[in-house]
Amino acid sequence: MTTATADVREAFPLAPEGGRIPYSSAPPSGPYTRPWILRFARVPDATQAIVKPPAVYDNELQMSRGLYDGPLPYMQTHNPTVPDGNVKNPPPLDEGAKD
Amino acid sequence: MPTVLVIAARDDWPTDRVVKALTDGGAEVFRMDTAEFPQEVTLAGRIDARRGWSGGLTTAHRAVSLADVSAVYYRAPNPFSLPATMSKPEHRFAAAQARAGLGGIITALDCRWVSHPAAMSRAEYKPLQLATARTCGLTVPPTLITNSRDAVRAFVGDVTGPIVCKPVATPVFIEDDQFKAVYTRRVTEDDLADLRGIDTTAHLFQAWVDKAYEVRLTVVGDRLFAAEVHAGSDAAHTDWRSDYRSLTYRIGTAPPNVVEGVRRYMDRLDLRFAAFDFVVSPDGVWTYLEANPCGQWDWIEHATGLPIAQAIADELQGVSR
Repeated sequence: MTTATADVREAFPLAPEGGRIPYSSAPPSGPYTRPWILRFARVPDATQAIVKPPAVYDNELQMSRGLYDGPLPYMQTHNPTVPDGNVKNPPPLDEGAKD
Repeated sequence: MPTVLVIAARDDWPTDRVVKALTDGGAEVFRMDTAEFPQEVTLAGRIDARRGWSGGLTTAHRAVSLADVSAVYYRAPNPFSLPATMSKPEHRFAAAQARAGLGGIITALDCRWVSHPAAMSRAEYKPLQLATARTCGLTVPPTLITNSRDAVRAFVGDVTGPIVCKPVATPVFIEDDQFKAVYTRRVTEDDLADLRGIDTTAHLFQAWVDKAYEVRLTVVGDRLFAAEVHAGSDAAHTDWRSDYRSLTYRIGTAPPNVVEGVRRYMDRLDLRFAAFDFVVSPDGVWTYLEANPCGQWDWIEHATGLPIAQAIADELQGVSR
């Protein structure tokens, strides 16, 4: 029996297993196998990175709140996230980091 | 009671703003991340000849009847969280069942969407974006997508002026223990002298559009919020994502032909939210670059005061302002 199915992930897209940006310690390959455009890849400017303040999700409010006194976390989201090169703490969604 | 179903990551703080706008306005909200299924969210959906999907979603804190869901806000949720003790085949099987079961019921809901996930998936593809924009009357730059070195050289010869290259899909990745990004680059003669690697995958080249400034046009339902993005550095002039700190913003106005084209684009791709990027030339011509159906908007709201979160909440509730 041959089974042909469309990829249903397209109809209900989720972030990939293992995170939006999978971790790897593999180094670049060579010029014949590395995509040409990747020669222009660079580590983003860490000085512009936004450190996310500590927060906890409040199930009653259905939103995050700060661990300490101060504004709700959503009040602090007004700076676009900038990848800071820290692979242990990848940034949330940013312009261009699409599914 | 009519309820807005919000499906997003718990730490997606811009979604918090939408939830706040909804609840401040008296709306009932049921927020979940797909990562909570199946261990923290229970689904019991029934359908029969008499009525459509009924039953509901339940967490330890609240429940919603599927019949009460009046709108869904869908914003990049996480994968299902399945028991760690599952074998890999069991995990794959269970994840597929969850996607088809939970995802299938949710996407079958006949209600307002911002936006329907199937429409969002389709609208992510840059080639479709460009074709749609062109069909809808928006100006698009000459573009080449290829894995052929000869095609690149021919395109460079055909285009008058500089060209840029940019990723066709996500521009970020991790390799060598480092987080890296590929921004738009103005291609130099030296770059073109060595095209090894072009044949390894699809590459996108585009004619450089001379720009006075760029515009982030956030569209929510029928409302358009134009924010001019003025670059303060050479890097930001090429790709404003590469140097946020140098940017300044002003509220702008889209010309009527762009408004008309954008509305057609939204209708054609069945979107109720999208973040459009335009280049505005020194003589005032708007050129479409792309439209992200799940684009960020929060920093634009902060920088300009444009009420985007409220507009999303309004759209979810069917409120016109």
